[in-house]
Amino acid sequence: MKTLRLITFLVALLVLNSNEFYPQKLTGLQIMEKVYDRPEGNDMTSNLTMTLKNDSGDERVRKIKQFTRDFGTMEKKIMFFISPADVKNTSFMNWSYSRQGQDDDQWIYLPALKKTKRISSESKSDYFMGSDFTYDDLGDRQPNEDSHKLLKEEKYNSDDCYVIESKPEQLDYMYSRTVSWVAKDKWIVLKKEFYDEDGDLLKTLTVKKFENISGILVVTHTEMKNVQKNHQTIMDLKNVNINSGIEDSKFTERIMTRGL
Amino acid sequence: MKRFLVFIWILLTSGLYPQSLDFSGYLRNYSGMRAGNGNTDFVILQNTFSLNMEKNMGGSAFKINTMLYHNGSANDSILFKLREAYLDLYFDKFDIRIGKQQIVWGKADGVFITDIVSPKDLYEFLLPEFDEIRIGVTGIKLNYYLGDSGFEIVWLPVFNPTNSPEQNSIWYPSSGLNLAAAPDLSEQNVAASLKNSEIFLKYSSLTGVIDFELMAGYTWDDDPAMFFSMTPDPSGISLTVNPEYKRISLAGGSLSSTLGPLVIRSEAAYYFGKYFNTANPATDNGTIVKDYIHYMLGADFMLWDINFSAQYIQKAIIDYEPVIISNNLFNGQYSDMMTFLAKYSMLNETLNLELFTYYDFEFDDSLIRPRVLYDYSDSINLQFGANIFTGEKGQFGQFDKNDMIYGKIIYSF
Repeated sequence: MKTLRLITFLVALLVLNSNEFYPQKLTGLQIMEKVYDRPEGNDMTSNLTMTLKNDSGDERVRKIKQFTRDFGTMEKKIMFFISPADVKNTSFMNWSYSRQGQDDDQWIYLPALKKTKRISSESKSDYFMGSDFTYDDLGDRQPNEDSHKLLKEEKYNSDDCYVIESKPEQLDYMYSRTVSWVAKDKWIVLKKEFYDEDGDLLKTLTVKKFENISGILVVTHTEMKNVQKNHQTIMDLKNVNINSGIEDSKFTERIMTRGL
Repeated sequence: MKRFLVFIWILLTSGLYPQSLDFSGYLRNYSGMRAGNGNTDFVILQNTFSLNMEKNMGGSAFKINTMLYHNGSANDSILFKLREAYLDLYFDKFDIRIGKQQIVWGKADGVFITDIVSPKDLYEFLLPEFDEIRIGVTGIKLNYYLGDSGFEIVWLPVFNPTNSPEQNSIWYPSSGLNLAAAPDLSEQNVAASLKNSEIFLKYSSLTGVIDFELMAGYTWDDDPAMFFSMTPDPSGISLTVNPEYKRISLAGGSLSSTLGPLVIRSEAAYYFGKYFNTANPATDNGTIVKDYIHYMLGADFMLWDINFSAQYIQKAIIDYEPVIISNNLFNGQYSDMMTFLAKYSMLNETLNLELFTYYDFEFDDSLIRPRVLYDYSDSINLQFGANIFTGEKGQFGQFDKNDMIYGKIIYSF
């Protein structure tokens, strides 16, 4: 009888110790994996407007129509530049691969030269169209490229957030570290700080608006401020369509040269 | 004819057009002054208006690109150019383009190896932007697509040669043949006929690993062959030169791929049956026919936030004979050249510094082109630059006295 009681007690103890009753705290890596794995739909069409503001308040506006589709092991993206006038009809295509270590393939079509040129995707620290976003900032950085540490949990605006510090595994990366505020129930980065190679704050990204479109949370308004240059880029996403069934043939040189 | 074209152009831009047409283009002021050798003359005082009119109707589209040049340094002359005027028809697996169009092939920058469908307009040597150097050709282009690959067939019923500058232009090239008088090309047109038409074929593929093109063409040599004839006269024997355009064929290809941080590029063509001049005008009118190879090896890379691009280019005459005399483009059996480009962007890409150079190893001559580009606003771009020619002979050295500084203001819309 004593043995039976002892077994019952041990089973009860095991049950009480399970995750159902005492959820294990997520690690920094697990949180960033949830951000990375957040559903984004199979394809997306949108109109992107980038407004660049310098320290004198002068504004420059770039308008882009973009299409993205997930092909399983790779994601293809094609962008058509609509304005300013001197880059009109320029298009950019990117193929990114889920396989670890495989570089993206990128091409740019220059309408004045009537030429599609392959470009290197190694220069991820390049700024996109003179904005405050680098190509790397715009892409999906794989979680295992950084080591992540959960610093704290706090409210950001009205959202409960995890605050994660990420340090690159690669020593020559353009940022020494980043700090992200991740909304707990949405797995969206609502704010991110980028620190330069000297450890000084370089840029701050803030998400001003996100929307539920076809059951997918889409960030539709962000601001990136370079605090060292006092330069700012505002990104607005409009006319977002998710899972509209974009054809494979959209992501070809034929469409790059033909345009919208 | 020119008045008629100007009238059409004014009509199209006067507000009588359908509102759904898409208009774009630029207005450019371009001033250039010769510098060095005691020269301070303004050789370029040019205002240019470029207008694109486009309409996409889903299954079809059209584009018209007109250019209006006003030359203040040439008695206020006005020149109208219809650079492109074509209709596109789109089908499921293929597209057809009919009309006057610019066609660009190959992976090389600033050199023309397989990129010979559209001839060159050398009214100002190689100094204009590359889209202005190419002449639109009238013909039909058919593209048949197979996923990321495809075939392209171009048929041109009319042959257009290289457009050379007027004989009084500072850019009029030396033939390199030591002639007393420049040959007259004005009467050397090739009649438009089925027999005289040109045809080009290309297979191209764009993949994750490599992009490549394979091409062939049955065409005319854009530069005329020079035939010498000797006739006795009272003073002895006089030598006359008769330029004539000749058929030429070629087959070649190009590729580009990434190798770590490098983009490597290559392009090559084998030309069949090029007419070269010989030192013996009594035999075959001073000509000899030879094949030659033209190829390029190049790489693009970034270092210290500067974009670099370098290309090595060689031409080699097959079965070379020493009797062949040199000209500005061929010097002996092998002609070697390189190009170099460095570009640096700053102030959120509003200020760009650029240096482009051609260097010819055979003639030890070069063209050095530093340039500063500044985006004053989204619509207004300012440029200041120089064209520096070094050497005494060769395609660049011949213009050693044409060193120039220039400025451009471009308003895009």
